[in-house]
Amino acid sequence: MGLSPRLLAHAPPIGGRQTLDEYLSHGGYEGLKKALSMKPDDVTQMVLEAGVRGRGGAGFPAGRKWSFVPKNTGKPVYLACNADESEPGCFKDRQIMERVPHLLIEGCLVACHAIGAETAYIYIRGEYPQAIAAVEAALDEARAKGHVGANVLGRGGRCDVWVHQGAGAYVCGEETGLLSSIEGGRGYPRIKPPFPAVEGLWGCPTIINNVETLANAAVIVRDGVEAFRSAGDDDTTGTRLVGISGHVEKPGDVEIDPATTTIRELIEVHAGGVWKGRELKAVIPGGSSVPVMPAAAIDVPFTYGAVQAAGSLAGAAGVIVLDETTCMVDALVNLMQFYHHESCGQCTPCREGTGWLEKLVTRIWRGEGTLRDIDLLDSVADTVGGAQQGKTICFLADSAVMPTKSFLKHFREDFVKAVEEGGSPVFRARRKRGAAAGAGA
Amino acid sequence: MSMVKLTIDGCEVEVQPGSTVIQAVRAMGADVPHYCWHPGLSVSGNCRICLVEVEGMPTVQISCNLGVRDGMVVHTQSAKARAARKDVMELLLINHPLDCPICDQAGECKLQEYSFEFGSDGSRFAFPKVHKQKHVRFSEKVTFDAERCILCTRCVRFLDEVAGADELDIVNRGDRNEIAVARGGELESPYQMNVIDVCPVGALTSTDFRFKSRVWFLKQTRSVCPGCSRGCNVTVGARWNRLLRLVPAENAAVNRWWMCDDGRFTYKAVAAGERLGAPLVRRGGALEETTWDEALAAAVDGLRKCGVDLVGVISARLTNEEIHLAASVLDEVGARARGHVSRTCAQDDLLRTGDGNPNAAGAALMGVPAGVPSLDGAKGAFLCGDDLDGDAAALAALDGLEFVLYAGTHETATMRRAHVVLPGVTSFEKDGSFTNVDGRVQRVQSVVAAPGDALPDWK
Repeated sequence: MGLSPRLLAHAPPIGGRQTLDEYLSHGGYEGLKKALSMKPDDVTQMVLEAGVRGRGGAGFPAGRKWSFVPKNTGKPVYLACNADESEPGCFKDRQIMERVPHLLIEGCLVACHAIGAETAYIYIRGEYPQAIAAVEAALDEARAKGHVGANVLGRGGRCDVWVHQGAGAYVCGEETGLLSSIEGGRGYPRIKPPFPAVEGLWGCPTIINNVETLANAAVIVRDGVEAFRSAGDDDTTGTRLVGISGHVEKPGDVEIDPATTTIRELIEVHAGGVWKGRELKAVIPGGSSVPVMPAAAIDVPFTYGAVQAAGSLAGAAGVIVLDETTCMVDALVNLMQFYHHESCGQCTPCREGTGWLEKLVTRIWRGEGTLRDIDLLDSVADTVGGAQQGKTICFLADSAVMPTKSFLKHFREDFVKAVEEGGSPVFRARRKRGAAAGAGA
Repeated sequence: MSMVKLTIDGCEVEVQPGSTVIQAVRAMGADVPHYCWHPGLSVSGNCRICLVEVEGMPTVQISCNLGVRDGMVVHTQSAKARAARKDVMELLLINHPLDCPICDQAGECKLQEYSFEFGSDGSRFAFPKVHKQKHVRFSEKVTFDAERCILCTRCVRFLDEVAGADELDIVNRGDRNEIAVARGGELESPYQMNVIDVCPVGALTSTDFRFKSRVWFLKQTRSVCPGCSRGCNVTVGARWNRLLRLVPAENAAVNRWWMCDDGRFTYKAVAAGERLGAPLVRRGGALEETTWDEALAAAVDGLRKCGVDLVGVISARLTNEEIHLAASVLDEVGARARGHVSRTCAQDDLLRTGDGNPNAAGAALMGVPAGVPSLDGAKGAFLCGDDLDGDAAALAALDGLEFVLYAGTHETATMRRAHVVLPGVTSFEKDGSFTNVDGRVQRVQSVVAAPGDALPDWK
């Protein structure tokens, strides 16, 4: 609480874009100037000391990631900015891209300097036309003024930044699926090893960072490590951009101090509370893939560690709020349709298993399930994957499993009710209206 | 470089650095179940059946992409590894059709094998299966069944990486994924039929062999392809004394795991045309059936009369043993010249050599060079395994000779000009050896019985 925003400081209201001149008037590209006067390794060291963890969901320390780039391979190094933001419930990166795109570009340039890259790709999801337009416009300005291109800030170094538009696949937000997509191939995640830092784009060392992570890198170099660490705690340094959606009065994004802001405060203070005066039922705190938290568990700060200790993950900070009227079977059907639809189909467990999970939960949703189907759903989820299983190349299958397992763990009674009462409330209402032809929303 | 030492299922193993765990397991003579991994292709890591447990690693690991490290302790048979593989197996089968009774792959199907080994006795999946395209024509040689496909991408990788023909890819997404021919065309690679062999299930089948026989009824014989001088090792499948298919047999030094499509169809020539089943001698202008004794007597008589004026054409399609004996006959008679008919075939950098004689090297080593010697001034000719049908001038020259001995397998224009005809057998009907283009002597084995009284030329 009481935090003055950093990433969104001086950001125009939603719908507006900060121009290069406006950005420069607020100290824009000062971080880049500072970075270019430093040795690349010192920039990496600074980001490492700042302790910023990946904001795309995994929370891996960005500085450590940068340090994995092998030296003197004779190959070019690439930076790929993950701006796919494909996780349901997440819409925080678009705030940076649409409103303060130069902050992202500066972050890309700082990172490129640190890792020795001359080319950065910003992979923006195709469903974000405003973000694409804003970043492209900002890049035009930056190129025209020499911030991006052959001679960055007149210091002789080259750094090109390109926007690559996604085509609508969730799995292309997985970092190696994203690389496959940039290369023009199917958006298939890749087996590791080789790790992207060693063999990424076109077989060359590649660092993949989330939009907010890179924006933070610019802030770290501009303001210094100590200033950066004045928000957050040792586990989660710096601020976090959080998107709050679902059954709240004022859905939207907010930049918070994760160490001093609890999930309850996110909902009640920043999002105007649960809508229509209703009670809270559950929160999915980190985007649709993470385990659901029952209302009683949400009095925890929004740090990676605290949310994990409370049984979920802060993930990509997409807080989905579900009120007391929600049937969790309805919610899970929606999620399983999504994961089944988005599985790339490469690995057996995900290709076959996400469809099975959807079929099972749909059967319960339609009131055609039995109590045994509830146990079967739980058991099939274990068969498909789950955290710390390693059955698949990427986490998509686990992302379907984690909600399934946690929904059943915390809200089994909703599933039992759907079995006993002939379907979920939404299904029964639809059937009553004669519109329950299928599971499609 | 020093070897890497690791422990697999309690056994200490030493392997080359850079090896993967699955290679180490195989080096000790064991194996890990696998579908997508193939020793001759890149690692794709998608089938997830080769999961193993490694001490110190929190998750199970795919052994096909896990590099060995000194001191690594691997468990391929631990409860955790087996349970993970069982889970993958169950998922592989939920949408797989239960059409084993009519599937060509039955009997050599990895799904069947691993199901038998560690699958369940029932399915917990009680929904309609996902339906996809069936009997899709990929080309005149390859037929595809998308429902049987487990999307392991071996076929995609084979064509791309080995055949150099990027002709297959995956379309759609998730459990709607299907293999498809790129750009909507048909497979064109002359090596395309290898995708049938690398397919671990019944998704890619040979249009030629489809529904001909259950594979467990095939008499399977290891031999050598007679299509060119590469000498690709093959397994010949036969039933009812009929040749039904040739598939490559692994030989790291010759053909690795592959063979060309042309080679697979060499068996067709055996039953094509009119086979010679009995010795013939010319009596009053016409060839008449006779006994081996009479025919051989007539042959010896004819050859002796020619003496030094005999010309020998000894085929480089014959085995070393036959060439040696035929050459001995020429030596005995004192024949003045000998050679074999040259044959060309397609040539490329993978396997096909361009030399259509499987034993050209063997023939040359035994003094039977390429090329038919001139028949000018000769009295007689001994044509052993070769005919001169492709050479009109030579064929005409035969008409002017006093004696022509023909030993061959089929009725030909050359044969109709002979005075004595000895019925021979094809390389699928006899034992012997071929010497390949690299000088490697390889064993040819009899697969089926020859028609009638035909005998190998060495008999």
